[in-house]
Amino acid sequence: MIWHITKRELYDHLNSLRFAFTTVLIIALMIVNAIGYLGEHKAQSVAYQQKVSESLDKMRSNADNLYNLLIEGPGNLYKKPSSLSFCASSGEAFIPESAESVGRSWGLTVPGHFEAWAIWRMQYPQSNPNLWDIMPDYTNVDWGAIISVVLSMIAILFTFDAISSEQEHGTLRLTLSNSISRGTVLVSKFLAALIAIGIPFLIAALINLFLLYTSGSIPLGPSEWGRLGVIVLTAFVYISIFLALGLLISARVSNSSTSLTILLLIWTVWVVLLPSTLGALTSGLQPTMTSNELDRRQRDLSGNLHNQYMEFFVIPSREIPATKETLLWSEYLMEDAIRHERLNEEHLNAQIAQIQLARSITRISPASGVRYAIESLAGTGFTRHVQFLAQIPRYANEFRAFLIEIDLADPESPHAMGPEEGTSQKPVHFESIPKFEDHISFSGAYNAAVTDFMLLLLFFVVLFAGAFLSFLRADV
Amino acid sequence: MLLTLIRRELLANLMTFRFSVAMVVTLLLVVANTVVLITDYERRLISYNTAVKQHHARISDARTYSKLQNETIVDRPPNPLSIFNAGLDRRLGNSIKVSHILVPTLWDTQSHSADNPFLNLFSSVDLIMIFQVILSLLALLFAHDAIAGEREAGTLRLTMTNPISRPVILIAKYISAMVCLILPVVMSLLLALILFSVSGSIALSVDDWLRIGGILLTSIIYLSVFYLIGLLISTITRRTATALMLAMVIWSTVVLIYPSLSVFAVNRLWQAPSRLEAAYGEIEQIWEAFERERINFLKNDGVEGEDPNFNVKTPGDGSVPDWTNSTRTILQYFKPAYREMTRIEPDSEPQIPYVKAYYQFSEPQRIRAAERTWLVRQKTLDQIHVHKADVAKILMRFSPAAMYDLATEAWAGTDFHSITDFITAVQQYRQTIIDYFYDKGAFSSRQWFASDHGIVEWSDLPRFSYRRTNIATSVQHASGDIACLLLINVVLFMTTFLIFVRQEV
Repeated sequence: MIWHITKRELYDHLNSLRFAFTTVLIIALMIVNAIGYLGEHKAQSVAYQQKVSESLDKMRSNADNLYNLLIEGPGNLYKKPSSLSFCASSGEAFIPESAESVGRSWGLTVPGHFEAWAIWRMQYPQSNPNLWDIMPDYTNVDWGAIISVVLSMIAILFTFDAISSEQEHGTLRLTLSNSISRGTVLVSKFLAALIAIGIPFLIAALINLFLLYTSGSIPLGPSEWGRLGVIVLTAFVYISIFLALGLLISARVSNSSTSLTILLLIWTVWVVLLPSTLGALTSGLQPTMTSNELDRRQRDLSGNLHNQYMEFFVIPSREIPATKETLLWSEYLMEDAIRHERLNEEHLNAQIAQIQLARSITRISPASGVRYAIESLAGTGFTRHVQFLAQIPRYANEFRAFLIEIDLADPESPHAMGPEEGTSQKPVHFESIPKFEDHISFSGAYNAAVTDFMLLLLFFVVLFAGAFLSFLRADV
Repeated sequence: MLLTLIRRELLANLMTFRFSVAMVVTLLLVVANTVVLITDYERRLISYNTAVKQHHARISDARTYSKLQNETIVDRPPNPLSIFNAGLDRRLGNSIKVSHILVPTLWDTQSHSADNPFLNLFSSVDLIMIFQVILSLLALLFAHDAIAGEREAGTLRLTMTNPISRPVILIAKYISAMVCLILPVVMSLLLALILFSVSGSIALSVDDWLRIGGILLTSIIYLSVFYLIGLLISTITRRTATALMLAMVIWSTVVLIYPSLSVFAVNRLWQAPSRLEAAYGEIEQIWEAFERERINFLKNDGVEGEDPNFNVKTPGDGSVPDWTNSTRTILQYFKPAYREMTRIEPDSEPQIPYVKAYYQFSEPQRIRAAERTWLVRQKTLDQIHVHKADVAKILMRFSPAAMYDLATEAWAGTDFHSITDFITAVQQYRQTIIDYFYDKGAFSSRQWFASDHGIVEWSDLPRFSYRRTNIATSVQHASGDIACLLLINVVLFMTTFLIFVRQEV
């Protein structure tokens, strides 16, 4: 029976103006998306390879001397580009593509002309990568935007009059006079609308993938298909939320024009305005250091250390075993690098915590939830960046430990790493240096997406139950 | 008669459910976002004030004239009207170094308030965006059944049995709906202004009030466009349901989809003819020429060798070798040269006149090279970045929502022109500093490179002051978009009128 009514409803939908509009709009947007991202992944991969090899070349030239490696560090560490950036890239413009390590950040001259260079440390970019962007504000036309904004709006257009217009015309009473339960009617209306939206969406998505794949812009392996499958599944749950919302309002309001008005206002606030407003509002709850404060703390840190060690500033020497002065120099330079790095990390973590909090609260809007889920699955955006950053301290420690180990192996070194005199000057075998490679972990991505997926499912269940109850009690 | 009709329509509109809901939603959003934006403004203002203080204090770090090139930084104050339309005010860099060795451009700006760069992930919702999205929707909801609904219900025929001409009906509907639409705009603006005065950190000048007036005017014209679109749809469709559907399709396309789509397309597909490499080569040549002249001078100045220090003996400090600072992507290229000799050995004293003569020659040359660099640089970077943004803006303007956004941006003084005005002011300030150097004879003075005979007294150094673009310029930049919006209004009204007059009811 359900299938019978669904079929009837589906035919109605397929013949309607809105179906035509939906199909044209979704396909057009997906084609624009495909054209916009033609060659994008390739260009990004080439740029990534180039930057990584530049970084490695620099490391190779520093490897002729352990001291140079100690001062210059591993260079910039880059984030691997995602092959599914066309799915979600709206955040990419505001997220840095690398973690920076700085070498020779300062040099010290003490009377007697000794020059000591600071040891490398991770700095993480603190500047705003978007400083010169003079383009007008806009939303990227990626899958995330198409799904979260356009499909949800379409879902509302398909259901706002599902019940109220039949009530107006009296056809609902006719249907119910047969031995059909109200639940069946509701479910079949829901299914019909889901299929009517799902078909053009799937077709458009396939056209999009076809264009991208045949032009050689993206690889489509099992990992990509798996993630795209979950993205489509999430999209269907997300559409269902708005279908259920539409049915709920339509069942409660007898006039379809009023129903649409209410739905549109809810939609505008919930989908368009709330994610940004809440994000801005809640990020004020956990403010981080301003750049001025950070500057001050950095200066204080350097100043304190400097004062603490200043009286010991006597020229270090290459004597073996290391003299007390050389060891103190080493301690000072090491402390300086590690403490600054710790401060930078602290600042970065505070920034991340601020955003995480704001993101969890914006999940009140399913539009945010679906975007976050798609971002995690596509391997772009903030979640991905946090995964990338999590690998950095581990690598930094590994690199440092490696240098110390090599220094210890050199019998001609006083083993007081830091000042030139205290450090091994031997060339280092380039191949043995640990290199950073960004590992994309998709189990992490799935895990991050599951939370959002569950939340979306919860929204759907609540709204659908609401629609069911309202419809049961509605007068026909 | 007109008044009776207006009163009837007005009541009919005001009593509707959609009006009250839209009103409540608008006001709630306005309050929430204004509070957020005011807090944000206050934070930026504090950040600005700290930066100004720090940067001013830095000037006294310069003990010699030449060191000033490393220590002068000026800042752009945040614009209080960015609460209405944030525009580029928050995003673009707001502090910039001023020196005679580089003509500052937009691409040299830094940010003094980069709190948390990730915060940009949440795009800001300002008052204009709320009006743009919600009130345009309300306008369409008012209009979609204005004619079609009455026709369906048969009340239109009833009204016409009275001696009322059709234009009067149309005008009455228009006026009453506009009153209902202006109401939430005015109330939102008042609420925002009340919040302003409560916060106490925002002082509005007469100019600002005029700008807010301009924003109000533009908002009314914008909402009128959407009401008339709805009215036209309502006139040509038979059923309200169809009218509503059509109105929603147009609204979602024009307000939400098209503006982003056009900018996205331009951003992705526009390939500016990149002369970056060629321009970089040209700039390198300019500096090579400068270098040749400099070396040439050193060869012929009567002292052996090409050392710009002329073997002046300074015990262990303050000498910074000449180097080149260049960033290819933004064509930044300059050769800093500053000396800060705190002590000069007496036996170097005979060399001093040569050093003075050298700087008297080299620094004006450096200034000229910097200015020539700027000519090349400005042209190329404009071609790459500014033209692209211009194309995007032109394409965007096919949507009235984008016109509204750009016009209010101009009113608020947060548009691209206002930011470039700031850059122009900084460039003028650079010229003032150069004039000051010439007045003081700084280039040929001992204090250019050495502070052993006393450090430079900066008390009479001209201070940088920046006033936001004056309102006449803003009007000029907003006027194009406003004129377009007015034109759309007139065309829509005439079309609706002609169709309605000839129509059967």
